[in-house]
Order: sequence, then structure tokens, then C-alpha cells
Amino acid sequence: MKLDCKRGILYLAAMGMEVCWLYVLIAMLNKKVAGNHLSVAGILVLYPVSFIFNRLLGRLKWPGACLMSVSWLGWMVGMLLIVKVQLYADLPFSESTWLLSIPQAMAQMIYTLKPEFIILLSTGIIWWLSQRVASRDVSFPMMLKKFQFGLIMLVLTFFTGSRLDAIPDYPVSEALIFFLFALSGISMAHAFENTSWFSGQNRWPWPGLLLVSISLILLMGFLVTLLATPELLQLLWAAFKWVWGLICGLILKAIEFLAGLFPQSEPGKLPPMLDTSQLKPAQGKPLYIPKWLRSSLLFTISVFCIGMVLLALWRIISDVFYRLRRKLSDMADAEFEPMTGAFKADLLNVLKLLLSRLVKFIFFFRLRHKEGSVSPEVASVRRIYRQLLRWTAGCGYPRHISQTPYEYCRTLESLLPDTSKDLNFITKQYVRARYGVLLPVEDTLYILSQAWHRIKQTRLKRASAELSSGKEGN
Amino acid sequence: MSKVKSEISPEMSSIQQAANRMVDNVSKVIVGKKETIELVLVALLCEGHILIEDVPGIGKTMLAKTIARSLNCSFKRIQSTPDLLPSDITGIHYYNQKTSEFEFRPGPLMANIVLVDEINRATPRTQSSLLECMQERQVTVDLETMPLPRPFLVIATQNPVELEGTFPLPEAQLDRFLLRIGLGYPTKDEEGAILSRFQRSNPLESLTSVLEADELLKIQELSGQMYVEKSVSNYVTAITRASRSHEDIKLGASPRASLGLYHASQALAAIQGRNYVIPDDVKHLAVPALAHRLIVKTEARLRGRSTESILSEIVSAVPVPVEDP
Repeated sequence: MKLDCKRGILYLAAMGMEVCWLYVLIAMLNKKVAGNHLSVAGILVLYPVSFIFNRLLGRLKWPGACLMSVSWLGWMVGMLLIVKVQLYADLPFSESTWLLSIPQAMAQMIYTLKPEFIILLSTGIIWWLSQRVASRDVSFPMMLKKFQFGLIMLVLTFFTGSRLDAIPDYPVSEALIFFLFALSGISMAHAFENTSWFSGQNRWPWPGLLLVSISLILLMGFLVTLLATPELLQLLWAAFKWVWGLICGLILKAIEFLAGLFPQSEPGKLPPMLDTSQLKPAQGKPLYIPKWLRSSLLFTISVFCIGMVLLALWRIISDVFYRLRRKLSDMADAEFEPMTGAFKADLLNVLKLLLSRLVKFIFFFRLRHKEGSVSPEVASVRRIYRQLLRWTAGCGYPRHISQTPYEYCRTLESLLPDTSKDLNFITKQYVRARYGVLLPVEDTLYILSQAWHRIKQTRLKRASAELSSGKEGN
Repeated sequence: MSKVKSEISPEMSSIQQAANRMVDNVSKVIVGKKETIELVLVALLCEGHILIEDVPGIGKTMLAKTIARSLNCSFKRIQSTPDLLPSDITGIHYYNQKTSEFEFRPGPLMANIVLVDEINRATPRTQSSLLECMQERQVTVDLETMPLPRPFLVIATQNPVELEGTFPLPEAQLDRFLLRIGLGYPTKDEEGAILSRFQRSNPLESLTSVLEADELLKIQELSGQMYVEKSVSNYVTAITRASRSHEDIKLGASPRASLGLYHASQALAAIQGRNYVIPDDVKHLAVPALAHRLIVKTEARLRGRSTESILSEIVSAVPVPVEDP
């Protein structure tokens, strides 16, 4: 298996794609489970090492099982080295503590995930993927599959990260790099198979044009990333609100004017008004998107997402069928039993099952949504408090069922005295929103998210301080 | 949950101001015990009755008199003795020889604040005559029912030791008290402050009233308007229901107890300047509002369990309505 230049480039593109989504996945796990203590780049170093190692192993004429065993032995050594270097750098190799930490992490994985388990899992995936890449020949279908799988993984990881509040630091850049590898790899693989314009008469201007286009897209992406700061978004939002208010005001005036053209009807006797003195809305109520518009947008986005997933699935399935057809064409003398309509019936059953599950899920979701319908501001405050509870529980200090928010706040203050002001603020706002159903003002939500952000960071500082003091102690 | 409440209104903040005035005024006589004074204010805002139970010489009667003096209301005192008769406290119809007619002479119950000192020294018959007054705020004398003046508040004191010659209050009577509070011994510094404060004269004599009866009625009405979220309301009932099923409790808290705890929580929220009740209010008031209404099983009592300790156990086992992580 001698690597020529063209294949080398394609291998590089395929590896780049996988490394991109692996980076995002491991960074998310690192943020959520290990508190950003692990070096993701340090773990990903294993990918090229594994690739080279497996390529070299492939040259040997050993039996397959033997090669596999040696390969996974290599993984074990690599994984142990990463655990030692990243988590137990201060301990000598002769100490058994760092070796025992891995089975311990595996035993505890039902209750809690530990950094050792993250290393074990991520290095295993890395080794397996790079082994697959190293053992196969790169081609256009393979690049396409890598892109489709990588894209799904990237989207799923970003979605999970957003739900768990553990999105990596530079998601746009990572996505752009992934697309750079994917687009370059796919186009080059297509070109190298001598089936495209890339091999025609205009083969020299096109690559340049392609590279310029990709560069321009990436440049624009980076520019958008740099410009789209929270301040700019706030400014745009304020401008949008002002324009929206202006338009609404104009529409209202127009309606008032039109209403004034009609003759005034005799007002009927209205029933006595309820005493709403206690139900005044808070000042500075932000602009609401109408419910029907929100529902329609939600529906459109859902349809779009489902469509994209189905499209990706269709592409994968069609690729699989294409492969099968090619294989079957080689088996000319084989006999097949015809099963008319079996595939259609199976497909319909699966679709029926999926549809019924979807309907049940939507029904359940809507029911829950109706039961707990609160204003978006109150929901935001409650969400941040839930995140705080999850985070503290993850750190080993869960709230006792009989503890009130203020009592729990006092417990947390004793653990994290540096953040007592922020903890107090979050608790106070939560209590107001939860039991008083008081609307927080716009600034409060911003300060609240800042406070939550600070608490998370302080925890890291505290953790690292503890780590350093532990090291000094050692 | 769809209701959206505004920030605290000026009327609501007037409750806090009035409460602060009361606390400051009472603190001129009673040294320390701010929490106890606050509990008395809670009962005042709910128009509930208070039973102050503690050992002699702690300042029970002094606290009751100071509260009465701080309010510009009519005040009467009943010293309970075994020979006290119901008619001595409710009033009687007597024959006026000058006018040749029967006239009603009201008893000490016809006042805004009634201090019933050493209530457990009165006979059960006399104690029972207080039932109608405390619950229905009216008194029936010779088939004639008369309403009592509003606000109406009974502050009773009793001594938990020296039980000889006393008649323990029946359950029905205890259930009519909103809160049972104790004062406890003062700390070293507080005792020193008591000596210096009472060295020359009794500060109670120079105490002025800081709250009018009309104002008290108004803030009582406002206190009942404090918002109680559904889950907090459920938390109140969860605590009282848990007391009924506890293995060491013979008689659990009544629905009147639930109602009392609910209203008391509203009053405490108002005193603390909030227009909504939080679980901390309920927790804080659970023992003073419920402990005197429970009857502990004999075997549990022999094991040294008290209503307060059992109630604390119940409160620490009932889940507080907070977000699920």
C-alpha cells in the first residue's frame, strides 16, 4: 500500500473531516464532564499516530486476528499514556493509582462520568476510525460518506451541546474547517477519478476558481464570526425593536383612523371589571413574537430539519443500494427468491411506527407545554436555575429535597464564597420568578446569564487552584 | 401560573413599615427576641390568637402588655383562677333598679386585645367559654349574641411547669390558637441590657402606641391578598397531611391548621416586604403554627420525642417545590 501524492491529499482530507467532528465531540464532553481539564489536541494526536501505525501494520503479512490484536494493543498503550500525561503527570509510572483509575471510572460510569472514561471512550473511537481509514482505499463515495456522517455527527453534537450548555468555544470556525476539508476532499476525489470537468479541457482554470470560492466562503464565515459580537447583536435587536415599534405604531394609527371613519355605535353596558390592581404587568415588557408566527416558524424549521435528515438518510441508503447492486451484478449465477411487495410492506410498517411515535411525542410535548406555560422571561430565569442545580449536582453537591432555594444558596455560599453575590442574585431572581411570578426586566436576564457564566468560571478557577495546591502538597 | 404580578405596591410596603414600627416599639421594652416579636405580628396580621408558653419570669405577660400598648386599641386583662366563671369574662345582664330594666354589663372580652394570663389555671368550663369568642368573634350571653369589636386578639399565657392545680387546655381550645410561641431565656448580653433598661423605671409606662386599630384592620385585609403560588399552597397541605400519617403522631394537624399556616405564611411574607409567599415562610412557621395542635403517641413521648422534634422531622422530609435539575 504505497501512498502516492494524490491519495495522500485525499487521506488528509478524510482525516481532517473526522478530526473536526471528533474535536467538537470531545471538546463538548471535556467541557461537560471534565471541566475543561483535558487537552483535546493531546487526545487527537492519537489519530495520526494510529493511522501511521495501522498503515505500517498493514504491510506485514500476518493473519487478520493477529493484526487486530496488535493494533488494539497499540491503542491501549496510547490510551494509558494519555491518561498518565493528562491526569496523573505528577505520579511516577510505578504507582498503580493511575492504572486503577480506569477500571474505577468504568465501574462508576452508571453513576457519574469521569475524565478517565472520556479518554477511554474518545481514544477508542479515534483508534477505530483511523484504523478504518488506514485499511481502506480512498474514493469519491468514501469521501461522500465521510462528509455525510461527519455532518450528521457535527449537527448532533452541536444540538446536544446546546441542550447541555456545553458548546465548544469556536463552533463556527470548527464547522468551517470541516467544510473546507469536506469540499476540498470531495471535489478532488471526483477530479482524480477522471469523470468530471476537472479532467477536461479547462482543468487548469477550474481548480483555481474552486479554491478561490472556498477561500472566499471561509473568509466570509470568519468575518461574520468576528463581527457578530453580543454588543452588535444587541444593537441590531434594539434597532429591530425600534423599527417594529414604529411599524406597529403606524399600523395602529392607520387602524384608528379607519375606525374613526365609521359611525360610533352606542356602547352597551359592560359587566363590572375584575380588580386587576394586583395584576399590573411589569415595566419594560419586551417585544413578543405572536404565538401563531412562532408556531409556524417552529413547524417550518422542524419540517426543514426532518427533511434534511431524511435526505441524508436517503443518500446513505441509495449509496448502500448502489453498492449492493454492483455486488449482485457480479453474482450472475446466483438464484434469488422473488418477494413481491415485501420491501414496500416493511417500509410502510417502519414509517407507520415512526409516525405514531412522532404523533405521541408531539401530543405529550404539547400537553406538558400547556401545563407549564410561563412567560419566556420567567422560563429563562427558571432554566438558568435548573442549569445551576444540574451543575452543582454534577460537582457532588446536590440540593436536598427539603432545602428551599435560599437554604441551598447558603450551602453553596459556604462552598464557593467567591461567588456568593452571584449565587444570591440568581437565587433571588429565581424565587421572584418561581413563587412570585414576577417578570424580570430585560437587564436582569442579561446580568443573570453573566452571573451564571461567572459562577461556572469561578468553579474552574477554584478547581484548578485545588489541583495546584494538591500538586504542591504532593 | 399565567398571572403576572407587578412589583410590590405602596399599600403592600405600608405593611412592612407598620411592622417595623411595631418591632421597634416593642423592642424598647422587650430586649432581643426579635423573631418572637415578628411571630406575634404575624398573628396580629392574620387576626389569629397567640399562646405564649414558657417558664415564669421570662416576660410573657410583659410581651403581651407591650403589644397591646403599642396598638391604639382597647385592652383588657383576665387573670385566670380556678374560681373564674364564664360570666366573669363574657359579661352579664343585671337588673338596674333605677331604670327598672335589665342591662348588659360587658365582660373583659369586649376589647380589642384580651390578655388571658395563666389560662391553664381557669377551669375547663371557663376555658370553653372562650371557644366561641376566639373562632366566631362573637359572644352569646343569655341567648343574646353580640359581635366582638374588631380587631379582636386573644393573647394567652401559660406556664408549662407547676402543673398542680391547673387544667391543661383541651385539643379544641389549642386548635383555636394560630401560633404557640416561647420566649426562652435571654442571653448574657440581653440579660445585662434588661437590668440596665429596667434600672430606674419601667419603659412600658412611657410606651406610646404606633398603630391605630383602623390601620391594623386595613393591613390585615392587605395581608390576605398576598400571592401564594399553587406549588407553595400544595407544600402547606403536604406538611399538614404528612403530620397525619406520621407513625409517632396520634392526632395530626387539622384543616384549620392548614388554613392557619397558609394565612400566617402570607402575613410573614407581607412583613418581610414581599407580595408573594415562598417555601421559607412556610418552613419558618411550621413549628409555631402546628406543634401545639398535634398529639404525640404515648410510646413516642416515653421515648423522649416532642411535637417540635417530630414536626422538624416531617418538614425535613417533605419535598420543597423547586425545579428538577
